[in-house]
Order: sequence, then structure tokens, then C-alpha cells
Amino acid sequence: MSKQKQIGMLFLLASITFAALSCNVASSNEQFFGKTTPPERNIFRYVTGDEPESLDPAISNGQPEARIYMAMFEGLVEYDAKTLGPQPALAERWEANNDSSEFKFYPRHNGRFSNGDPIDATDFVYSFRRALAKETASRNAYLSYYIKYAQAFNEQKVFVRDPQTGQFLLAKDFDAETPPEPLSGSPFDPAKGEYPRAAEQHPASAEQGAQHFIYEDNTEFHKQMHTPLRLTLPGDAKARNKALDADPKLKAAVAGKELVPVKAEDIGVEAIDKYTLRISLVQPGPFFVGLLAHQLYRVVPRKVIEKYGSQWTQQQNIVTSGPFKMKTWRPYDKLVLERDPMNWDAASVKLDEIHFYPMSDNPTIMNLYKVGEIDAVLNHTVPNAWLEVVRTKQDYMDGAEASINYLLMNVTQPPMNDVRVRKAFNFAIDKKAWAQWRKIVKPLTAFTPEGIFPGYPQPKGDQFNPEEGRRLLGEAGYPVIKKPDGSYSCPKFPVDQVEYIYNTQESNKAMAEWMQAQWKQNLGITISLRNMEWRTFLNARAKLEYKGFSRGAWGADYMDPFTFLSLFYTGGENGTGWVDPKYVAMLDDANRTPDPKKRFELLAQAEKYLIDAQPMIPLDTAAVNFVKKPYVKGMYPNAGSLYPWKYVYIERDPSKWDYGSPSLTAD
Amino acid sequence: MLRFIVRRLLVTIPTILVVITITWGLIKLAPGNFYSGEKRLPPAIEKAIREKYGLDKPWYQQYGKTIWGIVRHGDFGTSLRYEGQSVNAIIRRSLPVSAAVGILAYLLALIVGVAAGSIAALKQNSRWDYTSMTLAMLGISVPNFVLGPILVLVFSLTLYWLPPSRWGGFPSRNLILPVLTLSAIYMAYIARLARAGMLEVLRSDYIRTARAKGLSEKDVLIKHALRGGLMPVVSYTGPALAFLLTGTVVVERIFALPGLGNYFIQASLNRDEPLIIGIVAFIAITLLLMNLLVDIAYAYLDPRVRYH
Repeated sequence: MSKQKQIGMLFLLASITFAALSCNVASSNEQFFGKTTPPERNIFRYVTGDEPESLDPAISNGQPEARIYMAMFEGLVEYDAKTLGPQPALAERWEANNDSSEFKFYPRHNGRFSNGDPIDATDFVYSFRRALAKETASRNAYLSYYIKYAQAFNEQKVFVRDPQTGQFLLAKDFDAETPPEPLSGSPFDPAKGEYPRAAEQHPASAEQGAQHFIYEDNTEFHKQMHTPLRLTLPGDAKARNKALDADPKLKAAVAGKELVPVKAEDIGVEAIDKYTLRISLVQPGPFFVGLLAHQLYRVVPRKVIEKYGSQWTQQQNIVTSGPFKMKTWRPYDKLVLERDPMNWDAASVKLDEIHFYPMSDNPTIMNLYKVGEIDAVLNHTVPNAWLEVVRTKQDYMDGAEASINYLLMNVTQPPMNDVRVRKAFNFAIDKKAWAQWRKIVKPLTAFTPEGIFPGYPQPKGDQFNPEEGRRLLGEAGYPVIKKPDGSYSCPKFPVDQVEYIYNTQESNKAMAEWMQAQWKQNLGITISLRNMEWRTFLNARAKLEYKGFSRGAWGADYMDPFTFLSLFYTGGENGTGWVDPKYVAMLDDANRTPDPKKRFELLAQAEKYLIDAQPMIPLDTAAVNFVKKPYVKGMYPNAGSLYPWKYVYIERDPSKWDYGSPSLTAD
Repeated sequence: MLRFIVRRLLVTIPTILVVITITWGLIKLAPGNFYSGEKRLPPAIEKAIREKYGLDKPWYQQYGKTIWGIVRHGDFGTSLRYEGQSVNAIIRRSLPVSAAVGILAYLLALIVGVAAGSIAALKQNSRWDYTSMTLAMLGISVPNFVLGPILVLVFSLTLYWLPPSRWGGFPSRNLILPVLTLSAIYMAYIARLARAGMLEVLRSDYIRTARAKGLSEKDVLIKHALRGGLMPVVSYTGPALAFLLTGTVVVERIFALPGLGNYFIQASLNRDEPLIIGIVAFIAITLLLMNLLVDIAYAYLDPRVRYH
């Protein structure tokens, strides 16, 4: 055979081999995606996402860190594995006052850090104060702003006090819009029955005792909390003078008074005794207890932090409070946690160890899962192109997710500053077709995830109506012309003034092209696409350095509609430039309403207002999508993808495995 | 010779400082910062973060502080993104991983490449010659981000022989695929260079003399021909090391190895200024030193080369 023929044979052989191999991979008829051999030891191997920024639970607000914190640190309450509602953790029980503006928690007597030190209410007071301290620079501090003076301390503001009388200036005297005081700020009057439920819970003290119960912990701090909200001014002299110059009445009142910096001790948290913790809120907060499961509120070891400072999370120093403690940590390789025998609930912890592997490339993570080297992957790891195959497997998890996708619009520049133009573009997108194409999402016309909050009367936005969109564009001065072949064109529309920006990723590119095609098809306008690296994109969007549309998505911080609606609470940096004091007032009104049902109605009204103003185009409610091995039990695809790790275990009897998504309905 | 070495070492220091300065400037000019997220942080929190890391000071103060720390203590500071971890510790921890993969890959490439190339030169125009040169062509044309996933697909996902990614310590089965992926292109290049160099040397007079004297083919090859024939390979080593370092970055990413390359990409994406500067400086120093070593080796191999 000649040389050329030989080489030709070689290549033919190689191609056939590759073809055969790839067919083998693609047409697998197995029930599950990859190997399903449980690990030999009683360990659980999980990919968290990227390398964690820090193991200090107060600092980071990223997704990868959240699941690690849940294993290493514990709070007063913990997320329920299925509903994400608050379950007692380090707190045995709690009570709320009449309008949910003050709470009392009762920490367990057997709470322990991993080095054996006891955990009591003073540790929680320390943890909350530290989380809000300027030096900690916590990204999540805003989640604590419901606590009285928490925001003032975190922002380093000052009180204003009269040196002669010792009286502080009050907020309501200088701001007519100051809301009425909740019960936690009103003068304390036992006759008001601030804690009627206390009588139910302590029947022994109901008669003579009710008075006894309420009076005995009316400490000096408590009395001080029950005074009207004090006025606070910026601590920075320049900002303060600016505020004073803007308000002559304020300036006159402040003259001659002394400025007292807001200290950590002013925050509305108090350890009445070692096993009673009281929290005073600045407004009624019916959702507040659920918020306390967040990592910001988990307890940290005071002695260790004071000794080692920012090095306290290093392997040789760290002390934890959760069901698992650190065994070894090799950054960018793996973090190994083991069961903490000191934890109050160590008997319920099923796993011996958890291994967290930090990785960020989705196909690499899925490959690792396929060969059986990890037991579950984090949410949204399955690449879109793989969904056809992976969705049919019985280890694919899906379920409703408390997160939404949408497009933001820069409303400060023409033509998008015209609400008719914005509505036109919204009308021109067929959300149902989008959901079908994307496969794992549900269409959305509002700004909160659908079906996630029980009892919430979510408003409906505009449905797909391209005819109406074209009409609105014409009204706005950009008439849409129908061409002889049936397609549309809009020659007057300034396409050079509008673009669509997104951060570089395969799925985002496909999404951008899909949107572009919709607008071309229904409005006859071709919007140019521009992709950029993640942080450059965040920067451009926050500073409004883009014209037209940008991609957006948000997942709930806590299980309440307000976590979504609050994205437009502050103006300017929400990526659109849209701000409306009326919307802010509607939200504030809702949050001040003690009745949960009425509150939901008011929130829904605010949401309707937001949808009508159309600073964004809603697209879909996302769905949870990840894979976990069938032998992993106790891990449920809940709406926040948050797993209390102590309930997770490895089941070695195949008849008891999970075949398909485990049900979320309580049993 | 000694004067030459000393002079080269002295030039290294200002070179590194210039590299650091340019890198620092580029980072400052890049948009974005290390703490940004989907939801914009409230201004007070952002201010606290910037103050904590000294980002609120004027640019010349920040530059001065950075340079002073490096020059005075050799301290590149603490990572902005990874709380409490010093840059020096990160480099110290990740260097062995990158070094293991890189050195093994290059050794493999040298051994296989030189052997294949020399035999091809000896048996010129034979079946062996054509096959190995065709494979070399393939090795040069297939990029490592294509070769890596193909190897993973075959050996890991289909045959389940080898792990698809992650670091398993040294030595372990996890090293096999990354080293193979990284070495492929160098193996190919070195084979071709060795073949070309050997072909030229084998034609020269002193080899004919050695053969005429009656030395065995093996002695002719190893004792006499190799030294001269490997000159092209040695001079290729300098730039090859530069590409090896960048190639390592891609391979580490594909195989999720906790090496310098992976940290470097992450640091750039995270705008982690101290870490970027630390890694860039480290790579620059390594490159300069390696090139110096190659020049010294060159002088050893070829007596005609003299340095002043």
C-alpha cells in the first residue's frame, strides 16, 4: 500500500473510533446521568460554585458562600428543608409583640461553639454588632436595616443632642413623612397589651403573672428603645453640611447642639440575660424571623475574632458554630468539613464529612458528576444545550425557584425615556414562546416570581400583543410600516441610539439573539447586541453607561415579595435610572401594615404601579435545575436552593433512592 | 561569563519594576471593581469597603504604597477578593501545582520529541519518518483547548479510566491528562526541531570521521551528534517556557487545577489588584531567570559561543 493510502487508512480508523465513542455517550439509555455508586465513606461531595470570597459569614453575599456558611455556622433559626420557613435552631422558641416590631428569642442552654465554648444571647448581640461594624464591610448589611438604628450605625451617622437637657432631636420633628412609631418605639405601657400572646404562652403568669412577666424585663435599654426615633445626620462633615444647608429649619435646630456618633450599643438588640435576646425593629416586620436564617445573622466566636482579626478564618484559627466544623481547607482545591460533636444537635447530623469543591466551569462540573466523583451540583449548572438529554434522567431536579429574569432599560435617554416606546418593546416579546424555547422557565409579566409566595395576589402585566406594540410606537413618533412580503420596518426609529448589552456567556448570547429576532419580527427594528466581561458589564449597567437594554436577574434574599420590589426602592443605581417617590411611599406603607394579608395587597398594588411604569421588561420565573445522585436523600429542590446540611444523608439501599425530584409537600 | 551573568541579573530588577508599574496602571484603567454584584451596594457600604482596602486614597499614594511594600519587604499585600489571604501565601501554595504540570509536560515533550525526531533523522524518508512528522503536524495544529476535552471525553467519560478534572496531589492519576494535553504541542515542535538539527549534524564532517573510525551507531549518535543536533531544541526552550506558562493557564482552567494560571485568570476577572501584580511579577522574574539559564546552557553546548 502506498504511503498516502496508509495515512488515509489511519485517519479513517480514527474518525470511526471517535464517531463510535461519541454515539456511545449521546444515546445512553441509563436511568441516571452517569455512575451511581455511593461513596465508600459516609461523606457528601458537592460543588459550591466559585472559590469562596471569605469564610466569614458576615462578609460575603455570593451564592457559592451561602451553602458553605449554612454548614459551618448556625443562627437563631434555620431554613426548613422544603419550605424555607424559619425552624428553631439555636433559639428554642420566640415571641413577637402585637405588630411584629419587637421579638424575644430564647437561645438554647446547650448551644456550643466547635471548641466547646457555650453560645448564649451575648454572642448573638456581639455577632449582630460586628456584622454591622464599618471594619467588617459586610456586603449584606442592608438586610439588617429593619433593626432600630442598625442603618445609622452601619452608615456611621450621628445623633444630635442638646448638651444642657441631654435630649436628642427626633426624626419626626424634621421630616413630615416620618412614619408613625410602631409599638416597639411607642412609650411602653403594659396596659396596652403589647404582648398579648405572652399570656397564652405563660398561662401560669396570666393573672398576677402577666404584669410580673412584662415588668421584669423592662430594662433601661428597653425603655430607651420605646422612645420615638431619633434624628440622624451623616457622620461625614461635607455630606452633613450639605443636608443642613438644604433645610434651614434643621440647621437652626442643630446649631449649638453636640453630635453624638451612633455606637454599636445603640442598635436595637439586647441580651436581657444569658438566654433571652430581644430585638427592636424600626417598623413592623412580619417577615423578620424568616430573615434571621440568613448568613449575616449567624453567630460567630467573639474570642477568636478579637484575637486573630481578619485571619480568624484560617484553618489553624477558625472556630465555628454550625453542625459541621472545618477539617482541612485547601483553597481552589477543596474544603473538607466534618461533623461537629459539640453542636447541640450533633445527634441529628447524618453525614461524617462534607467536601466542597470550588469550580466554575459548568461542563467540567457536569463531567465530574457523570464519572461519579461528586454527588450533587449547585443550581443552574446544567448547560442549556445538555437539557434535552439530562432532563429525561431521574436524577434531574426541577422545581419553582424564587428568582426572575428581566431586561432593564436605561430610561434617562431617548428614545427609551418615552414609556410608550418601552411598553411597545414589552408588547413585542412573546413570553410564552420564550419559556418554550428556554425549556425550564415559566413566562412572567410581573416583577415577582410566580407561585412562590402563598397568598400573594400577584398582579398581571401586559400580555403578548405585537399589534398594540406597533401602534404605540407609531404614537410615539416611530411608525411601523408593513412591507409587501409581510415583514415590518421602522425606518424612523433611531437604532444607533439603542443597543442590548449582556455579559459574555453562551446562554446570554443565545438569549440576546432571541430577543433581537422577536423585535425584528414584530416591530421591524434590529437592535444591535454588545457583550462584555462580567464586571465591566456590572459597571456599565450601574453607571447607566449603556443605551437601551441590559440583561438582569435577581434571586430572593428572603422569602418575601419585598426582596424583589426593593430593587427599585432606591433610584439611580438600579441599572435603569428610574426612581419614583410614589412607588417608594407605597412600599413603605405596605411594610408598616401589621396585617399580613393587607400588607400583601398593598405590595401587589406597588408591583402593579412598577409594571405600569415599565422601567424593565419581565421575562420569566426561573426554575431550579441541577442534578443530584439518587442515593443523596434529605436534599430538596426548594425555591432558594438552600439545604440545611444536617438532614442530608447517603442511602445505600437502592429501593429507597430518590427516583425523580423528591416532593416538596410536607409529609 | 560571570560578568555577563551579573549584568543580566542587575537588569532584571528595573525590568520587573517597569512590568509591575505597567500592570498596576492597566488594572486601574480597567472598568469594574472586585466587590460589584448584581444588585448595586448601598453607598455607605461601598464607602466602607473602599476605605478598608485603601481604595479611597489618591492614585499616587496607592501606587507608592504598593511599590514600597514590594521593594522593602517583598510583600505583595493581601488579596482583595479572598479575605485574609496574603498574595505570597497564595503563590507559594499554587506554584507547586503549576510547576509539577509544567515541568512534567516539558520533560515528556523533551524525551519523546528528541527520541522521535532523532530516529526520524536517522531513518530519513522511511515509514517511521513520515508517520512521526504527520503526527507532529497534528500536534502543532490542534489547540490544547480542543485536545484536552477530547482526551477527557475518551479516557474519562467513556472509558472511565482517568479522572476528568481536579488535582489529586503529587503524584496521582489526575496528572496524566493535563500533562498529556499540555505537552502535545511541545512534543511536536521538539520532534521537528530535533529532526532538522540532527539531519544537519549527521551530514557534517566530524560525524563522518567518527563513523570512519569505526564507532558504533549508538556512540556516534549519543556521544557526538546529539550535542550539536540539539542546539535548535535548546534555543527553542527559552520562548517555549513562556508559552508553557500561558498554556498552563488554559490547561489549568480545563482541568480545574489550583495552580498559578487558574488564580491568574480569576484574579483578572475579579479585579484583584495585589494578586494580579504578584503573579505577573512572579512570572516575569521566572521568565527572565529561565532565559538566562538557557543562554548559559547554550554556551556550554556550543564552544563557539562566547559572552562578554
